[in-house]
Amino acid sequence: MKIVTKSFLRYLPRRLSLSLLQLMGVACGVAAVVGMTLSAQTALKSFSKAIEFLRGKATHSIQRPVGPMEESFLSSLARDPAVEWFSPVIDRQLSLETGSPVRLLGIDPFLDRPLRPELAQVEWLGKKTDVAENLLSFLTDEKAVFVDQDLKEEIGITSEKTIDTTKGTLHVKGSFPNPSGEPLMIMDIGHAQKIYQLQGYVDRVDLILSDEYGFSSRWNKGFLIQSSRQRSETFSGMLQAFRLNLEALSLLALFVGVFLIYNTAMFTVISRRRDTGILRSLGAKRLEIFVAFLSEILILGVIGGALGGLIGYFLTQLLTGLIGSSISNLYFFLRPEPVAWSSWIPITGVLLGCSASLFGGIIPLVELIRINPVQAMSGRVASRESARKAKKVALGGLFVLLLSLLLFLLPGAHIYVGFAGVFGFVLGVSLLTGIVLLVFHPVVKKVLQILGKLPGKVAAGNIRQNLGRTGVAIAAFMISLSMSIGLSAMIGSFRQSLIWWMDTQIRGDLYIGKILEAEVPEDFFEELRKIEGLGGVHPYRNVLTLYRNTSINVSAVDARVLEKYAQFGWLKGGNENWESVKQGGVIVSESFSRRFGMKSGDIITLEGNQGPVDFKVGAIFYDYTTEHGLVMMDRPTFIKTFGDRTLNNIGIFIDPDHPRRAELLQEVRRRGEARGLPVLTGAQLHEEILEVFDTTFAITRSMRVIAIIVAFFGIAGALLTLFIERSREFGIYRALGFSTSQVARMTLMEGLGMGLVSFFLSIAVGTVLAVLLIKVINIRSFNWTIFYYPALKPYLLTGVTAILASIGAAAYPIWRVYRTYPQIQIREE
Amino acid sequence: MKRYLKKSSLGLFSVLILMGCLYQGFTFLVHAEEWRQAIGPWKWVFPKDHGSHPEFRTEWWYFTGNLTDSSKNRFGYQLTFFRQGVLYKANDPNHPWAIRDVYLAHFALTDVSLNQFWFAERVSRQGPGFAGAAEDGMHVWLLNWMARMEGNRIKIEARHQGMELSLDLVPRKPLVFHGKNGLSQKGPQQGQASYYFSYTNMATEGWIKTPQSPSIISVKGTSWFDHEFGSNQLAPGQVGWDWFSLHLSDGQELMVYFLRRKDGSMEPSSSGTLVKPSGHTLHLKLSDINLEVLDYWKSPKSGGRYPSRWRMKVPSGGIELELTSLVASQELLTEGSTGVIYWEGAVAGKGTSGGRPITCEGYVELTGYAGSLGGLF
Repeated sequence: MKIVTKSFLRYLPRRLSLSLLQLMGVACGVAAVVGMTLSAQTALKSFSKAIEFLRGKATHSIQRPVGPMEESFLSSLARDPAVEWFSPVIDRQLSLETGSPVRLLGIDPFLDRPLRPELAQVEWLGKKTDVAENLLSFLTDEKAVFVDQDLKEEIGITSEKTIDTTKGTLHVKGSFPNPSGEPLMIMDIGHAQKIYQLQGYVDRVDLILSDEYGFSSRWNKGFLIQSSRQRSETFSGMLQAFRLNLEALSLLALFVGVFLIYNTAMFTVISRRRDTGILRSLGAKRLEIFVAFLSEILILGVIGGALGGLIGYFLTQLLTGLIGSSISNLYFFLRPEPVAWSSWIPITGVLLGCSASLFGGIIPLVELIRINPVQAMSGRVASRESARKAKKVALGGLFVLLLSLLLFLLPGAHIYVGFAGVFGFVLGVSLLTGIVLLVFHPVVKKVLQILGKLPGKVAAGNIRQNLGRTGVAIAAFMISLSMSIGLSAMIGSFRQSLIWWMDTQIRGDLYIGKILEAEVPEDFFEELRKIEGLGGVHPYRNVLTLYRNTSINVSAVDARVLEKYAQFGWLKGGNENWESVKQGGVIVSESFSRRFGMKSGDIITLEGNQGPVDFKVGAIFYDYTTEHGLVMMDRPTFIKTFGDRTLNNIGIFIDPDHPRRAELLQEVRRRGEARGLPVLTGAQLHEEILEVFDTTFAITRSMRVIAIIVAFFGIAGALLTLFIERSREFGIYRALGFSTSQVARMTLMEGLGMGLVSFFLSIAVGTVLAVLLIKVINIRSFNWTIFYYPALKPYLLTGVTAILASIGAAAYPIWRVYRTYPQIQIREE
Repeated sequence: MKRYLKKSSLGLFSVLILMGCLYQGFTFLVHAEEWRQAIGPWKWVFPKDHGSHPEFRTEWWYFTGNLTDSSKNRFGYQLTFFRQGVLYKANDPNHPWAIRDVYLAHFALTDVSLNQFWFAERVSRQGPGFAGAAEDGMHVWLLNWMARMEGNRIKIEARHQGMELSLDLVPRKPLVFHGKNGLSQKGPQQGQASYYFSYTNMATEGWIKTPQSPSIISVKGTSWFDHEFGSNQLAPGQVGWDWFSLHLSDGQELMVYFLRRKDGSMEPSSSGTLVKPSGHTLHLKLSDINLEVLDYWKSPKSGGRYPSRWRMKVPSGGIELELTSLVASQELLTEGSTGVIYWEGAVAGKGTSGGRPITCEGYVELTGYAGSLGGLF
């Protein structure tokens, strides 16, 4: 047995280039899976870690359903018999000069310490000996902050220093350890009240309760009490759609990765038919062959897997940041720490590499040891047989497609079912590749003949002849290309839909204040309203609250201004929908309506400051601001319900033909800037939103690149195998008078042919995939409609990629042709 | 007196509570010259002087007592409120969060029959109603701990996790003013003094709850109350003090303190007060008091070695006593916030007074026997 195994393994260094390619195949597959899965996990884990860190030892928190809470309640809270401890918190955001967001916690160090002792482990930046003086300055200097250690290193400060932020210049007095990975700053609560103009208010109070029931019964009206578990659930619920998409991307990576490894392992087996035949005829037993192959596959799996784990680890360093910035943009400020090295990473890689290799190799292997030696020695499977097999596989493919169709038709099915359907579709289509290749063979032959004359025609024949190998490679490549097209088309359509939405809702000339951080003083709003000539001064408030125990957004608008200047995209009706808002009703976003199954005319109940309030849903509008659902109401209704007068931004509308338009805009801008408020034009705001959008999809785009790289190795491996396997045929070509360049062209045409076939197949498959992503996945995970905008770019881009990749994949075999073809003789014939 | 000394650690409380820093003087924080000094006689006006004196930097209201339940089980309690001035003038006096004073409090319960001791501590700024002390009479509070005098009765309340206390205290004797009509000189310099008075004997009734008692326990007993305010610092060279407040069964009370210096000697200003059954007082100088330590207890937590049994003689009062701590472990380790370690607990003893056998009970405070716990946590 040892001899057989040894003879097999000798093959590996002998065909070094092929072995390396196969190794890279396995490695890339593993890397894609490890990289994607690990970074998704890390980012999500650091999210929950940040939540946990912020929560500290608090068991509950209490806040107003919407907006800040009056601090006059604090002394009663302190005396409540169920309250073991409490700490009022101001929880806000600011941005550094670099634009990176930082959470600012305003706390009372005296009260907060029992809840979050970590925050108190301050390393002073001033004279270390003068602790008392340092301390006094933190409590009395209105701009004093502590920053977390990572932030300190990021800013690169070693001694007391000022930093510029959107909330002015702050004085860094010290740093504290922060295991959560979220950029964090601490300020005394009194000072935080001042910089956020919150005198008399806090955002929430973190509590340690001994008796939840008793406490809730005393504070049930007008307050939102959440246990820490509920709070974490609310937060992670916010991330649910995002998490699902990461999971889907990881699965996709797994699919492509396993496909590639499968492809590689299968090639390893079928390219060795002849050797098997020889060994068998020399007396080697079936078991010996089996073990020999198995060791070869496992060696590939182990080395490739370990290497893949390593590459995946480096990939993670890049992807984690991308995912982190997506989360930061959308939900929560996060700075996920890149995964720390662990020996589990290569071990996982090895396990993955080995199992996928076994999975890929086992069927051809079983088949190989079952056939008789003579048949095996004859080399490739006869094309008639491969055609029969292709038909069989296609039948299986049709069956899978049918199954996935059924999955799509399941009414109200979970998003996972949707994902299963999409994967079923991809799998089913890939199984059809062989038959499609057979059916369209004449076309391929024609095209390649035009492109490459006689060698082209021969190349087409070769592709057809080696269906067992080329089919799988084409399928893998096709799937990668389809994914590229599908994801691009989906992102493109989403982007177009977003642009359309911005044109309907964000039509102001100027916007003052940023939704997340800058709050606009109400008196400034009143001041602007007094300027004559402004068509509309629009006060906007957007805030998170709970509806049926899940996060939603509520916003306050001025219906009269929007009716006149905005052009909301309504699911039904037109601007008359504003009437219901003016009358104290609400309008809800499509995501809200789908998520909670709400129609026009339904009643929703929101918890207000004085208890629950019912609202009639007047209409539903398209919206992409939040997948959690948005309830919009008139500002007077909002203030009456929640008692919250905060303004997040002010929109300025001036009639386009107003004679003093430029002058007025200048005046508003001057006044806003004089107050230190960010002033953006409508166009700038659009740009900012698109920027956030693009950052958010950076991870998806990088997934596309990974898919292409993986596919490249797939197709290169297939070409090289074909080339090496056919050295003998080259002798015949030579005898027939084929020149070196003709053989090279033939090899190129084989690569190009496979690439082109893959690409043309992917046009159809990718388009369907895009439609599925838009119509099934997005609606089910985000509850919003994306309008399909056909675009040429994804197809062109993918086509170019396909051609370049297939030429690239053929480059090495061509080089081999030039180097070895002249020496090739017909040895056996 | 002991309370006066405490103010050095008070500053420390604030520092450490805030940010868990090392043992550093709080004294840098305040500009002593701004605060009013304890110089000259004080014109006492009650109930106003039971209230806060914010022009002085440091002030405390200190309650200790020995209690029994209906089954004669013995308990001890301590509830102390401190006000420590940080800035004579807050930066923004109209802002409720602006810091002028920091309030601190300690709460301890001793269950003698179970040999158990529990304590808790708090600190807060005044904030929007979190802590404070009225200026027109005794009403001092820190979150849900408070002491309030109404008429002749002081109500004290505290609750922390399983510990609870709600007691009514009624003085049996008039106020005792220490030193020279309440001006208690602490050092040779002018202003190194405080204003200091006590209710040495207060009938006490109410209930307590310990973490191990299934329900509240009705108790009765005798309490001691001190109120002191001043602005000056502890003299350098002192490492700690031993302070005794004792109720003798013949109706007298004895307060004695010893300031221990680094070189092992006693500060000459160490002294005491003997309160007669009539309420008349006898000032005791260091030379009037003889104290002998008979035994020690070593804390397994801090490693501090504290005296646990004493023989005390006050020849001028005709008093001879042997005292023992009722529970050995009555040490307060405030590692969570202050980092200060001291022993304060219920004691009892017997001896003779004027040749007649008597018993006594009371409280003892021992500081400076254990280092900071900073390195251990």
